[in-house]
Amino acid sequence: MLADAEHTDPPQELVRLRSELEAATRQLVESYKMASLGRLVTGIAHEISTPVGSILSNNAVLLRSLDTLRTLLAESSGDSPPHLAKAREIVNTLRSLAAVDRLACERIASLVPGLKTFARTEETELRRADLNQILRNTLALAQAQFRSRISVETDLGALPEAECYPQSLHQVFLNLLTNAGEAIEGQGKVTVRTRLEGDHVHVSIADTGSGIKPEHRSRIFSPGFTTKPVGLGAGLGLSICAQIVVDRHGGAIDFETESGVGTTFHIRIPVAHPRSWNV
Amino acid sequence: MSNANVRPAVLIVDDEEMVVTSLRALLSLETDYEIHGFTDPEEAVKFLETHLVDVAVADYVMPKLNGIQFLGKSKQLQPEATRVLLTGYADKQSAIRAINELSLFHYLEKPWENAALLLVIQNAIERAQLIRQLRDKIAELDAAHSDLKGVQTRLLRAFM
Repeated sequence: MLADAEHTDPPQELVRLRSELEAATRQLVESYKMASLGRLVTGIAHEISTPVGSILSNNAVLLRSLDTLRTLLAESSGDSPPHLAKAREIVNTLRSLAAVDRLACERIASLVPGLKTFARTEETELRRADLNQILRNTLALAQAQFRSRISVETDLGALPEAECYPQSLHQVFLNLLTNAGEAIEGQGKVTVRTRLEGDHVHVSIADTGSGIKPEHRSRIFSPGFTTKPVGLGAGLGLSICAQIVVDRHGGAIDFETESGVGTTFHIRIPVAHPRSWNV
Repeated sequence: MSNANVRPAVLIVDDEEMVVTSLRALLSLETDYEIHGFTDPEEAVKFLETHLVDVAVADYVMPKLNGIQFLGKSKQLQPEATRVLLTGYADKQSAIRAINELSLFHYLEKPWENAALLLVIQNAIERAQLIRQLRDKIAELDAAHSDLKGVQTRLLRAFM
């Protein structure tokens, strides 16, 4: 009887444990996502309030100007040059404001694709996606955080669409960019580069920050390791990044670092997902 | 150097082109001020070295020089010009702390209200012009005082 139990129970127990583990991992990833959103909120609020401020002001100016134009039109008797000159000036100014409004709306809109990936959806389907586009969406969020402190240089090479989990990769890039920003004290630069290398896409994210301390280098991908103050999700960032890149995509992640010079992370994602080779 | 019969001059510095354009449009349609807009604070400093302004309005977060540093330079170059800081929501606390150090006239929050902004700038111009007038009067008084001293010396000489 004992022998029977040993034959039937362990697989069931394993299945149960495995699904519990998967659920716990999903929760962990979810809470990490929310924590990284929390880190971004101040920057995003500022990034939205500047263009909104301009649009609001422009709208008020526009309404006042329309009133002025109406008065000018009512008063003009057909050939009243001073009125015409004034009206022309107003129209020119309003054109410049319309251009500003467009830019302002584009600035706000550029944040939306990045923010969408924070939605509580599980990404179970592989999709073909342009990694450059994912990076551009991520950079829009990261730059809101960097503001003028950190300049961003991009060198995005031509890439084929890769089979991937786009939202997960967005989280990886965002995490690496946030870390890069936090590694830089005062002014600095972050460089993002992509290249197609054989059957892999190679993404590198380099910062001019303080570098990773020698004693930390072997541990940065370990779950729970952090150099930051304890908080929600702290210490999960790079371990989750590694899990997403290596386990979910069959890719690779590594880094080069030099104290006082900076750190470069290299992420390699296969263009064709390993799982689809078998299909 | 009195500005009494010249259009009031307003300097605007914000690294966001869209903010400079919006403020310029607002001021040019609603006022007769001479407007000088810059997106680079260092260029704005160069401008202040050679041009007199009544008000300097600066954004807080800018590359190279932040708003506090810029307005500090403007205070050195043109102490009579009124200084106004424009701040985003997130910078409010640090901006308020800096207000005392710089004897800022006012700070405005983004997003700003056009009517409030116009009023602040109008008051800032009046303040700058009053300070200039005061300085001129003091100079006149000083001149009158030294004239009187001269008369007094001559009188004393005449009687002694």
